[in-house]
Amino acid sequence: MPEVEKSNAESRRSTLKRLAGYLMGGSLVAAYGNLAAVMARYLYPARPEQRSFLFVTDVASLGAGESSLYTTPSGAPVNVTRRGAGDSVEDFLALSSVCPHLGCQVHWEPQNDRFFCPCHNGVFTPEGVATEGPPADAGQSLSQFPLKIENGLLFIEVAIPPPEESET
Amino acid sequence: MTLDQKRIVIAVLAIFFLLSLILVQSIEVARRYEEVGLVRANVAVPATSRNCVDCHGQSTPGIIDHWKGSTHASTGVGCVDCHQARDGDADGFLHYGRLIATVVTPRDCSRCHQQVFEEFSRSHHAAAGNILASLDNFLAETVEGARMPFDPHSPTPGMAVDQVNGFASAFSGCQQCHGSKVALRSTSGGMVTADDLAPDANGLPTNAEALGRVLRDENGKPVLHSGTWPNTGIGRLNLDGSRGSCSACHSRHDFSPRRARQPENCGKCHLGPDHPQKEIYEESKHGVAYRDLREQMNLDARDWVLGRDYSQAPTCASCHMSGNLRNDGRITHDPGERISWSNRPPVSLVMDTDQNHAIVTATDPAERRRLTVDTAEAKRSRMKNVCSHCHTPDYVNSFYRQYDDFVILYNEKFAKPGQAIMASLEQQGLLTPTQFDEKIEWTWFYLWHHEGRRARHGVSMMAPDYTHWHGMFEVAERFYAELVPEARHLAAEAGARGQGAAARAVNQVIDGILARPEHAWFEQGADEAAQRIREAMREKYGQTR
Amino acid sequence: MNAVVAWLKDRLPVDVDSLRELTNEPVPHHLKRWWFAIGGTPAYLFVVQVATGILLAVYYESSTRTAYESVRYITEEAAFGWYLRGLHKWGATLMIAAVILHQMRVYFTGAYRKPRELNWMVGMTLLMSTLMLGFTGYSLVYEQLSFWGATVAANLTGSVPVVGGFLREMLLGGESYGRQTLPRFFILHAAVLPVLLILLLGIHIAILRIQGVTDFRFESEKDEEQKPFNFWPDHAYTEIVIGLILMILLSTLATVFPVTMGPKADPLVTPEVIKPEWFFYVAFRWLKLFSGTFAILSTGFIVFVMFAWPFIDAWIRRKTRFTEASVWIGIFAVFSIIGLTVWEALVEH
Repeated sequence: MPEVEKSNAESRRSTLKRLAGYLMGGSLVAAYGNLAAVMARYLYPARPEQRSFLFVTDVASLGAGESSLYTTPSGAPVNVTRRGAGDSVEDFLALSSVCPHLGCQVHWEPQNDRFFCPCHNGVFTPEGVATEGPPADAGQSLSQFPLKIENGLLFIEVAIPPPEESET
Repeated sequence: MTLDQKRIVIAVLAIFFLLSLILVQSIEVARRYEEVGLVRANVAVPATSRNCVDCHGQSTPGIIDHWKGSTHASTGVGCVDCHQARDGDADGFLHYGRLIATVVTPRDCSRCHQQVFEEFSRSHHAAAGNILASLDNFLAETVEGARMPFDPHSPTPGMAVDQVNGFASAFSGCQQCHGSKVALRSTSGGMVTADDLAPDANGLPTNAEALGRVLRDENGKPVLHSGTWPNTGIGRLNLDGSRGSCSACHSRHDFSPRRARQPENCGKCHLGPDHPQKEIYEESKHGVAYRDLREQMNLDARDWVLGRDYSQAPTCASCHMSGNLRNDGRITHDPGERISWSNRPPVSLVMDTDQNHAIVTATDPAERRRLTVDTAEAKRSRMKNVCSHCHTPDYVNSFYRQYDDFVILYNEKFAKPGQAIMASLEQQGLLTPTQFDEKIEWTWFYLWHHEGRRARHGVSMMAPDYTHWHGMFEVAERFYAELVPEARHLAAEAGARGQGAAARAVNQVIDGILARPEHAWFEQGADEAAQRIREAMREKYGQTR
Repeated sequence: MNAVVAWLKDRLPVDVDSLRELTNEPVPHHLKRWWFAIGGTPAYLFVVQVATGILLAVYYESSTRTAYESVRYITEEAAFGWYLRGLHKWGATLMIAAVILHQMRVYFTGAYRKPRELNWMVGMTLLMSTLMLGFTGYSLVYEQLSFWGATVAANLTGSVPVVGGFLREMLLGGESYGRQTLPRFFILHAAVLPVLLILLLGIHIAILRIQGVTDFRFESEKDEEQKPFNFWPDHAYTEIVIGLILMILLSTLATVFPVTMGPKADPLVTPEVIKPEWFFYVAFRWLKLFSGTFAILSTGFIVFVMFAWPFIDAWIRRKTRFTEASVWIGIFAVFSIIGLTVWEALVEH
């Protein structure tokens, strides 16, 4: 039946035609789309900071239950507390001392075993979770900094600010 | 070309374009990885040291540059962390709002480097300051200088000279390697040292009176005595009672471990006519290999372990301090741990040490066993651990046999006899009590302190020229051509003065020594030996000379 | 879809059908030969230049104090900065080459003849603008050759009679290369010249469409094969293929011959060898062969001849029987240009 064959050949040809069309369209989109992605990546601002572990103190100097104020190179204040008497990194905690509510400085109250913010009476657990005051209402907590211990020395991971631009 | 063909062509080309973009992206990723590896993390100045860096970046920019290149800087250890002083420190002063001290002692470093401090403190390096009570000190302070200031004898054109500082040779010579006794100027014009301050176990002075005598400038800064500071001698006696200076080997302010691994670092002090370890190393095959291959020896590695990070050649550090595969890569800051002979004294001593790390001198074997905590053999094994990375046991043991034989030869043929001769002269009262005022005292000093040491150090580190020509040859010459004749001369003089018994006693000692088989050639002639040599030469070469 | 079209039609009374007919021009058959399609090449490359140029301008700083550092940042630090700068640099080279090749094609096929003299002159203006873009672009990098090349070019401009001094001062923003110069180059390169180019390109294509592409007959072709074909999708596909080939070529060049940073401009140190970009070698060599006013005037004269060529060619064909004169003159010109360019490339001074 020549008509059926002819129409089969025709439908085959039109399928191939459509396939060629899709292939062309798809590969054009893929290629130029990739180029657009490259351009977008180029435009995205460079990561502003490197992070690195910096020296805080030797483990022996901080007693159990004691807290020490460390200032990061970019000026952010951090409360470094030793909770347990052990020497492993889990016994230490580094919490930002900036209250997440409106940015006042919190301080550690050893007698009450809590962090206290004097601006609006915000209270935080030793782990930095807010339990009273506006920060608690918003479900906030003090942000934490990673720590590590090497050779009896305590290190904190902070962002290293980029070097100042030199004028030449 | 039909439309369909064109569509296919477009598709193929677009895929090629996509592939080229993928290549571009992989290049970018590789570039990023490389960058992260090559570029050092920016140095962040710790908040506490911000002011220091800002001001000293202008006034002494080199110090800040050095520090920025150090591991301290990349881990956030800044100026204040090392220079901080405590209330009550003798040399602490308020400097732009911070209590600091100029001199950083091993005790300060021990705040973070506790184990190293302990090892170093019991090592012979930390004891280098003990020279201040020795012959060498006498040489520097009295023979070369003067223990009191004295007036100049004529003007120095262009400079107003009040007094001559008799300690200058000691301050600038011996003490720059061995360490000074750090002193603050006192209000009465003298010095205040650790001896006066009597620091406690934590380094704080206990003698308030001495503390009160410390002279301070208009800013309240204690004035360091210029003779004793600057000084980074490795045995420095610090004001807080600690001994040593870490910056002797780990130069400040970059505290480079890389530098401490290189022989040139040790060579600042371990060189010269009386202990030419640097020159000996350079002569030896170890030194030759090092000079050739140092660029490939991974000097910048974090932990520099022999057998893992490098194996081309050992340096001073490799044998005496650094970690290797056989000891789990453990560094020691006590080089004495691996040394089996002490070649410092006139007569070399076997390094069995007691609990105070002092050499056991007892002769009774049972007594030695009782006192010895760490035997010389144990020390030697630790050293052999290093050798065995490149040398087989037979090789190493035979070398040590060569070494032992040589040291014993020196001890028995020249050192002990020399000592005996000098002792008898002293006993018989033929020498004045003052050292170095008679020629023979210099002769003897040269023999054991210079030439004898050269010979022993040379053999210990495989440098034949130092062992022989700069070593034993000169020892022999000094002994036969100078020491013996001078001793005989003194005896003869004594005899002429009427001290016959003394003269006879001395001569008896000398005769006894020279009668021994190893010395017999000297006075009885060695004609047979000469004869044998002549015959051998005739046989071999047809010569008769 | 129809609702959207109806919504638009209510507000934009455009006759879509006649628009479609207008844009789907019948393309003469000879354009099935690929080398006739070179004209689209500089247009496509111009789009590439605009796109990469905008991206580069995001990080580029046009102050003499910070320009070099900003280019270094792009080249060494920004993600894919090296690649995009490479595309832009090689794109510039290829675009200028494409314009020259297109002009040569038009010249040797006599497609500038009446009634197309106007479009030839528009094209010449496009050529000059493209060359200016190339020159100002490299000046922005503020490398040694950027600074000194710009200084030499400004001095040459200054030696044009009558208006030279004025032009020179306008170019430099002062008596000599100073703080004002780089911002001027930047505005020229990134705003004035691109806008000019777009306008000229629009006019160029409009005139082309109005007049229709010159119809060619090749001796080998039979009459019936010379049916025109549709712009869309046929010729459009051809252009897409060319575009892709160009992108692959640019990508490869940017990767295999990446752009690096030369030494930074130092107004106190003149380099041993100062050369402009390759496309100016012929002019540079010409100016060095002759001195002073004659050099400038002769260069100006040659450019004038190029502009007025359709009319000069018509005059020659009228007055002599030498109908193929333009071809021979063209061959001579091409060899001269190549010769002078190569000569300049091979010597130092």
